[in-house]
Amino acid sequence: MNDPVVFLQAMRYIGAGLAVIGVAGAGAGIGIVVGGAVQGMARNPDMAGTIQTNMILGIAFSEAVAIYALAVALIILFV
Amino acid sequence: MTTRTKRRFGFKRWVLLGLMILGGWLAIGVQGIFTPISPAVILPAEPFLPGLKLFPGTAFETTFSNSMASLSLAIVLLLILVFFVVQPFIRRRQDVPSGFYNFVEMLIEYFWNTTQNAAGKHARRIFPFVMTIFLFVLTANMVKLLPIHETIGYLEPAHGNLTGYDTAKLFNLGATPVITLDGSHETKSSERTAEEHAVSEGEEHAVCEHDCFVVPFFRGVATDLNFTFSLALITMVMVQVFGFSALGFGYLTKFFNFRTIIDKPFFGLMDTIVGVLELISELAKVLSFGLRLFGTIFAGTLLLGILGVLVPVLIPGFLYGLETFVGLIQAYVFAALAMTFMSQATVSHHSDEHAEH
Repeated sequence: MNDPVVFLQAMRYIGAGLAVIGVAGAGAGIGIVVGGAVQGMARNPDMAGTIQTNMILGIAFSEAVAIYALAVALIILFV
Repeated sequence: MTTRTKRRFGFKRWVLLGLMILGGWLAIGVQGIFTPISPAVILPAEPFLPGLKLFPGTAFETTFSNSMASLSLAIVLLLILVFFVVQPFIRRRQDVPSGFYNFVEMLIEYFWNTTQNAAGKHARRIFPFVMTIFLFVLTANMVKLLPIHETIGYLEPAHGNLTGYDTAKLFNLGATPVITLDGSHETKSSERTAEEHAVSEGEEHAVCEHDCFVVPFFRGVATDLNFTFSLALITMVMVQVFGFSALGFGYLTKFFNFRTIIDKPFFGLMDTIVGVLELISELAKVLSFGLRLFGTIFAGTLLLGILGVLVPVLIPGFLYGLETFVGLIQAYVFAALAMTFMSQATVSHHSDEHAEH
């Protein structure tokens, strides 16, 4: 607490850790997306290609949220 | 050839295993120049050479950064592929294409089919843009995985939170000494005194010997926010351009929707608010485009750097595989999202609703 530089660094680490909590939601989202896609593929194997393409797009969308959290954490840590 | 593949324990895998064990022993067992150093993580791109400027003395003076160097490498590679690999195939007019040309044709055919499914008659105008983005980002991401990236560079005295290392001279390349960092002699940022820092700042142009880090010549293009955001801005501007060219000024009703506010006051107001939200989401798309590409690639670089220090053997190989996949997927996602937004912009909001009912 007495050294402001060390204190700032500690706060940075805490902030980065808190920012990365947002990744949890993206994990759940990707799980739901892939679960739905696999069910669809199992019921209708002919559509597997189309479903897979859309699944990757959906994953990218929900992953983007995780990436925001990660980018915020990285910016807190290294800027 | 067939007898050789039948042998269960070939010679090459023993060489590979021996090299892996040697690498592990050098990285962990021997203290010295083979000890892995923790990566110097700097968010903004550094200059390619100290003080190197583009267009010096004019209003457009900019630093030629190491990400721009990597970008030039990617562009040169792409041009070589186009003019010396793909173009000769087309000129030869072979009936049965082969090799790399097949791969390119497969990519283009796949994207052409998806674009045509999504955009219909506008596909001919949208497709070149989408394909350019895909090939460009893909090449940039693949070039980023070359070993020259984030390894070879010039020395700078460490500052801020960076960990500095002592240097060790390897050999002379002509008149230039080739120097490596000695991973076993590190200076943590907390150990650095203010006095030492002042000294190292004073002798700026002398060769750094103690407490140094490497500023690489090449740095992954997508680890620079300038690249990803300029690509995102170009894409979103082109989305508006395609929207205008397809729908004329009617395209603006997507954002400023006052058409129904007199007939149905409540739902008309809702439409207006939705239009404003649409406008905001258009700006958010720029942010999402830029940050997605930057975040994944920068996180990948960090992952390679940090896990390479913790586990210098075996794991980085798998990580490079993962990074190849991530680079491909991100290029695909960028192109596919650009295609989706463009094809959405060419479709009139109202005529679509009427067609459905």
